[in-house]
This record gives sequence, structure tokens and C-alpha cells, in this order.
Amino acid sequence: MKTVFCLLMIIFLAFSGYHLSFRHFKLPLVARKFYLTGIEFLFLGLLIGPEFLNIVDQKTLNGLEPLISLLLGWIGMLYGFQFELAKLRRFPVELLHAAVAEGLFTLVWMFGWIYCVLSFFAQISFPVKMAICIVLSAAAACTAQTGLALWTSFQAVPRQKMIIHLRYISGIDGMVGLLAYGAVFFFYPGTENIQPIGQFFVVAGISAGILLLYLLFTVVRLERAELVLIVVGMTVLTSGMASLAYFSSLIISFGVGVCLVNFLRDKERIFNLLVSVEKPVYLLMLLFLGLNWRVDLIWYPVAAAGYFLFRFSGKFSAGWLLTRSNPEFRPHPYFFGFGLLDWGGLPMAFLLEFSRGFPDTANGHAVSVALMALIINEALSGPLAGRLLRRDGS
Amino acid sequence: MKDQGRDILLGSIILCVLAILALWAKSLDPVSSWQRAGMADFTLGFVLLAAYVSGRLVKTLRMPMISGYVLAGILAGPFVSGFLTREMTENLKLFDDLALSFIALSAGGTLHVKALGERFRSIFLNVILQTVIVFSSVFGAVWICSACFGFTAHLSRLHIISLAVLLGVVAIARSPSSAIAIISECRASGPFTETVLGVTIVIDVIIIVLFTLAMTAIQMFLSGGPGDFSTLIALCGEILVSLVIGALIGLGISFYISRAGHDLTLFLLLTGFAVTRISQWLGGFMLANFQLALHLEPLLICMSAGFVVQNFGHAGFQFIKSLDRAALPVFVLFFSLAGASLDLNALKACWPMALFLVVIRGAGIGVAAWTAGRINRDPSPHLHNAWMSYLTQAGVAIGLAQLAQRQFPEIGIYLTTMVLAAVAVNQLVGPILFKIALERVNEAGTR
Repeated sequence: MKTVFCLLMIIFLAFSGYHLSFRHFKLPLVARKFYLTGIEFLFLGLLIGPEFLNIVDQKTLNGLEPLISLLLGWIGMLYGFQFELAKLRRFPVELLHAAVAEGLFTLVWMFGWIYCVLSFFAQISFPVKMAICIVLSAAAACTAQTGLALWTSFQAVPRQKMIIHLRYISGIDGMVGLLAYGAVFFFYPGTENIQPIGQFFVVAGISAGILLLYLLFTVVRLERAELVLIVVGMTVLTSGMASLAYFSSLIISFGVGVCLVNFLRDKERIFNLLVSVEKPVYLLMLLFLGLNWRVDLIWYPVAAAGYFLFRFSGKFSAGWLLTRSNPEFRPHPYFFGFGLLDWGGLPMAFLLEFSRGFPDTANGHAVSVALMALIINEALSGPLAGRLLRRDGS
Repeated sequence: MKDQGRDILLGSIILCVLAILALWAKSLDPVSSWQRAGMADFTLGFVLLAAYVSGRLVKTLRMPMISGYVLAGILAGPFVSGFLTREMTENLKLFDDLALSFIALSAGGTLHVKALGERFRSIFLNVILQTVIVFSSVFGAVWICSACFGFTAHLSRLHIISLAVLLGVVAIARSPSSAIAIISECRASGPFTETVLGVTIVIDVIIIVLFTLAMTAIQMFLSGGPGDFSTLIALCGEILVSLVIGALIGLGISFYISRAGHDLTLFLLLTGFAVTRISQWLGGFMLANFQLALHLEPLLICMSAGFVVQNFGHAGFQFIKSLDRAALPVFVLFFSLAGASLDLNALKACWPMALFLVVIRGAGIGVAAWTAGRINRDPSPHLHNAWMSYLTQAGVAIGLAQLAQRQFPEIGIYLTTMVLAAVAVNQLVGPILFKIALERVNEAGTR
């Protein structure tokens, strides 16, 4: 019964919140910029979760796992739909190199720092340490376009080329993080009996099966109601199979999304369907992350500030390197990395999947720290991006 | 013909791929909570897709899609392949409630005051005659013939009469969900469709009263003491309160549509679901805290809400359109789960008696519908095909039987087994006949 009420409440909050946050609610500009990021849902989750009111307790949260899997599958597929080769080819290949290089640089930078910090401060086993390093660095490597979109919607921005570059990198670099994140599923204790090669074939088999089903379902033109049924059914099925194979539903759904957007005739209709509930899905995810969030340890804010600073320095350095090494980026200011700080939904999905898939105290700490760092980041990334985007760059 | 062949081939291949994936999933042994959640997800996705494809396959054979959903549920269910275990089916009951409340909202929203007014005489006659004739025929047949069936041969006279009364009342019950699904799938409209829908929904309301009356009578009969008619009065009160609450919710929905209207389908699904769950919770809460047995009828509340939105505001069209958008997934899930829940063991245990019941009930319905049509001077096609529209039975009948089983355990097991077996037959045959009836009276595809 409690599960049902919680499910109802969570979905209702996500949708009502979507309308308040993204549609009609008019707050002052400064507050709106923060409010529009949806971070308030993180706090809401924290409030109703086991940490405070306990309306949604741990048992209930376990009962809601199918919904979490559905969300992850949805996000993975939506992200995969961004990789339409025909559209990517419209941009020079240097941009692709730059995006991948920026993602890789941040990933390696963060991995190194986090590994050192954990080796020095935390008494945890090697596989757990590796898993945490991978997840946190993969999350840090991702960039979102949300901040840019918000900024450009509030005021006219003259540096159009820079916006295009920032948007391109933001759309692509998450792939580096996502692929790196997949390594967790081969490292983590409890999955030792799963052979990586065997796992690879299982995942490949699942993906092939899902793609075959999509192709078969869309041989005939489907009505809208039928398409909704097929997409929901397939997303649930994909997430379920990924979880059964002890692999990431995010990554399998991402792969399926990439294939669909490049090979499927009905891709536009599926994309429109996926994107129509993108914001509620994002808010639900924040809510679920809030439910998993712990804030009871004194060192969390310090660690979060450290994590933010490492990421900030990584993105800043990557941006600086791009402006020095890539001719396409040479005209941009040296603090180009200021525009790459926004985090977006994909890293949230990593954290959510990681916390649910590998429930462990150390992982809980890592996710909590990352969430605090996210809040610091959301507060600072907007003004920093604004500084970059202003006409004079000063 | 070419399209039909292609659809059959495609559907078969998809079902094969799904079956291979299901075999793979079944071969695993989920150990962690993550994997168990994965199994629940997989089951849900599998049921949705396999049932939908089965629906499409049977459609090529000119059968209603819901028969395909039910068949898929039976095949995947615990009595045939065992892919869907009883536990899984129980876990998915959450979606059952969601679907039922949604269907009840649809049922209310499909009723138009004007059309009901025009068809009042026909609906009234059908309700009265079907109630009386179906009850009498089933009651009489069970009373007289139960000694001939091994399944009930050893029951005492008192118990046979009680069983006959309860079976007679349960036989009156219909399946509004099936009726709505078939009408929606056939895009049917017209006087015949409106009469069938009106009769089905009115019977769905009065069956609760009749059943309570029958329970009270049997209690008196078996115990020899005076009956407690306060239960009946309380029930009428609860029905009234349910209707009023439903009307208020309907006004609330109209207000939401006129003021906001965003994500209406989701809003309606949540409203219906919340009504169902809160009604159930309130019953338990009142009993636990105030020793007050309050049984609000969530389906009545939803029907009443749908009726008010359709007839007392300007939001009816938008309301129905939004419900239509989610109709397919809801029907697929609801009927496939209904199929998986059909108790084939019960059918195996007492199939001669169940078939006998089905035939007697069908005959009773035929006589009643024909007589009502004759008095009302309905056109000849309506007269001859009306009986086919009233055969389907589902959750209401099973629910009533289970209630009676709790109240009278000495005859309950016989009642439940027979009702489950009869419902299995009616749920398979009913939708097919209803679709044929709609086609024969030329009301299919007119919406």
C-alpha cells in the first residue's frame, strides 16, 4: 500500500513540478535560473526519503525499482537518439575530436585525483575503489546543454559560433563518460562470476534481440497509441533484460537508441514520443536520487567542494587545451571551459543506476558527495557560463 | 489477403523472438534485488508486447483483439507455460487496479444523458428481464440438476439452494471492461451499442445490491435466524456516497480540464488509480480506527465521475479523447493479466457443470434480450443478435464469488470453482460473439 501511495505521490510531484518548474511559475530571474534546473526535486526527495520524513522508506524504494529501471532505459535511449550520423556529419570532424578529447581529458584527470584521494583517505577494497573512481569520473566527464539553453533563452548572445561549439561538445562528451561507466559492471565485487567475454556476448545478444524486435514491430506503420505501447513495452523489456544480465540498462538502451536513430524509418515519431516526457523523467530521476541521498556526515560538504573543484579544474584545463590545440577553437577565450560545467541528466542516471545496482555504504557516500557537488555546480556554472558568453568576455 | 499473410508471419516471428528471450530470462536465477527488479520489468514488458502481438494475430482471423490478449495471458500464465507465475501475476495486480479504474472512467464517460433518455425504455426492460430471467433460469437449473453432477452431488438440500441463489445472482453480472474494450476496438456507435452499454453498466451497479440481498437471505436461510437488513441499508448508503463522491471528482476533473488540461491522460490515470486505492485504504482505516465498515465502491466513483465530466460540462470530448490515448496499453495489460489469472484447474475440475451453467445463462440472456427487444419493437437484427452482447463475464463475477466464499466457507469452494470455470468460458467466447453482434447490426466502424 505504501508503495502505491509513494508511486502516486512521486509521479504526481514530478508532473506537477514539471508544470511549475518549466511552464507557468514565474519567480524572480535569479531564483528562476536555479529553480529551472530542477534541483528542488533533489531536496524534495531528501525530505520525503529515509533520511527525514521516511514517507518513502528503503523497502518502498526497493518496490519502486521497476520504475527506476524504466527511467534509466528511457534516458539511455533518448541520449542514444542524439547520435544520428547524418546530423553529426554536418559538423567538421575536428569538433568530434575536440569533444572526445575534452571528455577523455576530464575523465582521466578526475580518475587520477579521485583515485589518489580515495587511496589516501578511504579504507576500501580495490574493486570498490575502482568502481567509485570510474563512476565519479565518468559523471564528471559529462556536460549538458541545459545551462546554455537557459542562458540563451534569457538574453541574446552574440557569440553564436561559440554556442554551437559548446552545444556540440555538450552533446557528445557524455558518450565518453557513458562508455567508461560501463566498466563498473565488470569490476564490481559480486559480479566476479560473470566472465567479461560471456557478459559481452549476452549484452550483444540482448541488444540484437531488441533491435530485431524494433525492426519487426515497425515494418508496418503504427498508430500513435500502438507506438506508445511498443516503445514503453520495449523500454521496460530492455531495462529488465539488462538488469537480469547484471549490466547497465542505460548503456544497452543507449546502444539501441543509436541504432534506431540511424537505421529505423519511424525514428522521428519515436524520438518525439521519448522527448515528450523528457522533463518529467529528469525530475523523477532527481527525486529518486534525493531519496537515496545521505547528508548526515560532516565531511560530505568538504568532499563535495573538492569534487567540484577537481571537475572545475578538469573542464577548465580541457577548455584551455582546446583553445590552444584545435584551430576551430582558437578564436574562443582561454576560459572556454566555463561553458562546459553544466552537468545535466546523464550523470544523474549513472549515479542513480550505480546506487541502486550496487547498494553499498561506500557507494552511498560517493553518490551523496556527487549530489552535493552537483548543487554547488548548479549554483556556480550559470554565472561562469554567463561570463564566457558575454560580448566582451570580461 | 496479402496484408493478412504478412501480419500473421510478422506476428509469429515476433512471438518467437519474445519466446526465446523469455526462455533465456527463465533460465536465470535472480539473486540480487537489482536482478529481481529486472525480472519484474522483463515480465511487464513481455506481457505488454506478447499480448499486443497476439491481439493483432487474432484480429487477422476477424476476432476481437481482447481475445488475443486473454489468450496470450492464458498461454503465458501459471496453468500453461508457467512463465507468469501466480506471484508475478499478483505483483502486477497494481496495474490491474489502474486499468480497472481507467475503464470505469471510460464507461461513465461513454454514457450520454440524451442517448440514455432516448434508450431508457429499452435499457429498463433489458435490465429487469435479464435480472429476473437469468437469475430464475440459473437458480432453477442448479437446484434441479446439481444432483446429476459429481461435483455437487453430495451437497445437502440447504446448501444446494444457497449455491443456486448465489450462482443465479453471479450469473447476472457482466463485464463492463470487456464491453468498453470491444466497443472501443470496433469503433462502434448507435442505438444497439448504447443500449448494450447502458444495460451492462446499470447491471454492474444493481448487482452489488442484489448480491448483498442474496447474502442476507442465505444467512437467514442457513442460520435460521432473522436477517440483518441494516447491511442492505448501509450498502445503499455507500452506493449513494460513492456516486456523490464520484460526481464531485467529476467536477474536479472538469475544472482541471478547463483550467490546466496538461497531461490529461496521465492525470486521469492517476485520478482513477488514486480513487481505487484510497477507497480501499479508507475502508481498512475506518474499520481499524473507528470500528466502522465503510466500503466505498471505487468503480462506481469512477463511473460517476466520468458520467459527470461527459454530461455536465464542456470537457466531455477532451476527456474521452484523452482516455482513448491510453486505452490500448491499459486494455492489453488488463486483459492479458485477466487471462493469466483464469483458473484452468477449476475448469478442469468441473467443466461439465461449468458448460451447463454457461449454456443455461446464455439461454436465459437470449430469452430476456429477445423479449425485451420484442416489447420495445427493436429492429429484427437487434432482436436476433442482442443476446451475444451480454455473455462476457470477468472480475466482478469472480470478486462476488470470492466474497461469498469468505462468508459461507461450506459452499464457497464449490461456488468459486464453478464461477471461475464459467468465467473462463464466457471470457473467451463472449468478446468474439459481441464483436459479431456489432458487425451484424452494422454499428461496427461507425464512430
